[in-house]
Amino acid sequence: MGSVSEFFQHLMNGLTLGGIYALIALGYTMVYGILKFINFAHGDILMVGAYIGLFVFDGLRGDAPLGVWTFTAFLIAMLVSMAGCGVLGMVIERVAYKPLRKATRLAPLLSAIGVSFILSNSAAWMFGTQSRKLAYPFHNDSIVVGGVVITPHQILILAVSFIMMIVLKLFIDNTRMGKAMRATSLDQDTARLMGIDVNQVISLTFAIGSALAAVGGMLIALDFKVYPTMGTMTGLKAFVAAVVGGIGNITGAMVGGILLGILETFGVAIFGIPQGLKDTIAFGILIIILLVKPEGLLGKAEKEKV
Amino acid sequence: MKKSIALLLVIALLSSAAVFAGGEKEGAKVAGPKIGFMGPMTGDNANYGVLCSQAVKLAVDQFNAKGGIDGIPVTLIIEDSEGNVEKGLSAIEKLSSSDKIVGLIGPVFTGVSFAVGERCQNEGLVMISPSATHKDITAIGDYVFRTVVSDGLQGEVAGRYFSEVLGYKTMGVLYAKNDYSQGLYEGMTASFEGAGGKVIIAETCQVGDKDFKTQLTKIRAANPDAIYIPNYTAEMAQILEQASQLGITIPFVSCDGFSNPDIYNLAGDFTDGVVYVGPAQVAESDAYKQFVADYTKSFGVGPDSFATNAYDGTNLMLAALTKIYRETGKFDRKTLRDAIAATKDYPGVTGLVNFAENGDLIAYQGIYKVEGTTPRYLGAYTVVGGKLTKVE
Repeated sequence: MGSVSEFFQHLMNGLTLGGIYALIALGYTMVYGILKFINFAHGDILMVGAYIGLFVFDGLRGDAPLGVWTFTAFLIAMLVSMAGCGVLGMVIERVAYKPLRKATRLAPLLSAIGVSFILSNSAAWMFGTQSRKLAYPFHNDSIVVGGVVITPHQILILAVSFIMMIVLKLFIDNTRMGKAMRATSLDQDTARLMGIDVNQVISLTFAIGSALAAVGGMLIALDFKVYPTMGTMTGLKAFVAAVVGGIGNITGAMVGGILLGILETFGVAIFGIPQGLKDTIAFGILIIILLVKPEGLLGKAEKEKV
Repeated sequence: MKKSIALLLVIALLSSAAVFAGGEKEGAKVAGPKIGFMGPMTGDNANYGVLCSQAVKLAVDQFNAKGGIDGIPVTLIIEDSEGNVEKGLSAIEKLSSSDKIVGLIGPVFTGVSFAVGERCQNEGLVMISPSATHKDITAIGDYVFRTVVSDGLQGEVAGRYFSEVLGYKTMGVLYAKNDYSQGLYEGMTASFEGAGGKVIIAETCQVGDKDFKTQLTKIRAANPDAIYIPNYTAEMAQILEQASQLGITIPFVSCDGFSNPDIYNLAGDFTDGVVYVGPAQVAESDAYKQFVADYTKSFGVGPDSFATNAYDGTNLMLAALTKIYRETGKFDRKTLRDAIAATKDYPGVTGLVNFAENGDLIAYQGIYKVEGTTPRYLGAYTVVGGKLTKVE
């Protein structure tokens, strides 16, 4: 095993870990971009999505061997999970955030943290704290290219985050609803005067963000298993990724996620940072970014309006 | 001689508690030897101490009920350590100097055992701990014994087995940064290298980690003969799966954490071929069932494993007392220590009890090999004098 292929293997590991962060960061950044509000319950909605996906998939699959049906069943489970999380996201917004829309900026943030605890503790209470396995719906045999190993699942994660990024951008930039979202983002009162149903736009934003979380949750669960706190640390890292890339910026979330994954992997594997400090790499980067370029790598510095 | 005492004790064990009163009255005529027990009787960890003390009390009561040492009853003095070193030291002061006990059962905790063991050693007072598992406890000296398996044994058996039986020359390790995992890593390494092998790479993780690809990629590059993963099930499942994804074909070896069947739900087929060191399979004896029944009847709760160890330790000490009284006519501390050290195949409720030269309980570890998702028992092993021995 040459050291060159070892280097590329670390790069590949970092890239796929980054893909996972990017997948979640997209949901964070989308909600923030429209509402200027950090939905700290995002990671826990992702966990709920993984549980829904797990139960539906296991129910549909039965004992069927891997094949077309298992993949179809996985897609169905994903759609159900997206719908379920979409509704959950709207309900959470209605119950926990909407009443606080006119309150200080801190209030909905705290409410979001509360929702996060409620979701993860409810899951622990209902399903137990043990990890559950979400089986791969396809053959996940490794592909070896020049000594570097990658699995179909890792390619899938990178592909899905990339596609998601493109579709989100197209949706927000080119559709009527996207335009309404951007208008709401700029000024809710003016948007309302222009005949935009702001409540509906906000609900829809949460629905889409939560449905994205469901996709992320299921794809991540294939590798990391399903358990009540699965969204906590990964969610936090994805939040860092979103801030690093420039929160509110969709391309930035992707860039931030990939960058974070690679830096974490290289920090330990190549720069010799002790394994125990791996998690601090992400937060160290967060601090540096906030000090040096608080708007993030791709974010635009906003001038305070008078 | 010893056999017949053993038999007597088993009978004592089986006897009902109804004979008690008579025994005590009869014994009151002659002043008998005193033994002490020390453990946390109050405080946060009182449960451990109380359960053990009850086992000691049961053993002494049953022994006296059967007539004690040729009619002489044994007195038990229980002291509270609160699981705290200072309290433990003042308790041993009282037990040794003013109560003049001949032997001590306890302490229960490792920390207290280190301090009290030191004192016992200096005073020439034999002590048998039912629960201090730290591998260095018996290194204090020749007056310190225990009826609990040392943490060191698992690592020791693991290292010797991997080297001598499986024939591995080099080993990679991926362990978590906690006492359990790190202790096994250190124990296995010492033993594996003592047997001529070499740990060429040791990577760490945190409990709760999900991504092990960085460490596994580094281990893959080092290319050891096998990879030792002394972890908990959730981490081991991730490690096995991601190793397979990285195309690692190096065999995995593991620890007693692998005996939790949850591993097969999480890791599925990736467990195939893993060899691990786990608890030896011991048949539950009638003596054990009788002990649990007597204990539960007397105290309303069942014993835990430490209380069971305390019961064996006490009975063993009582048998040794009987032996030295019959041979020398008195209860001398040094003679008692020698008699305890000379214990051979004492039939306790946990099975045959023997002590290694350093005072450790001679215990066994089971070796398992996973075939598909079913562990196959390959037998029990122990290490005696640095030599791996298969137990038939």
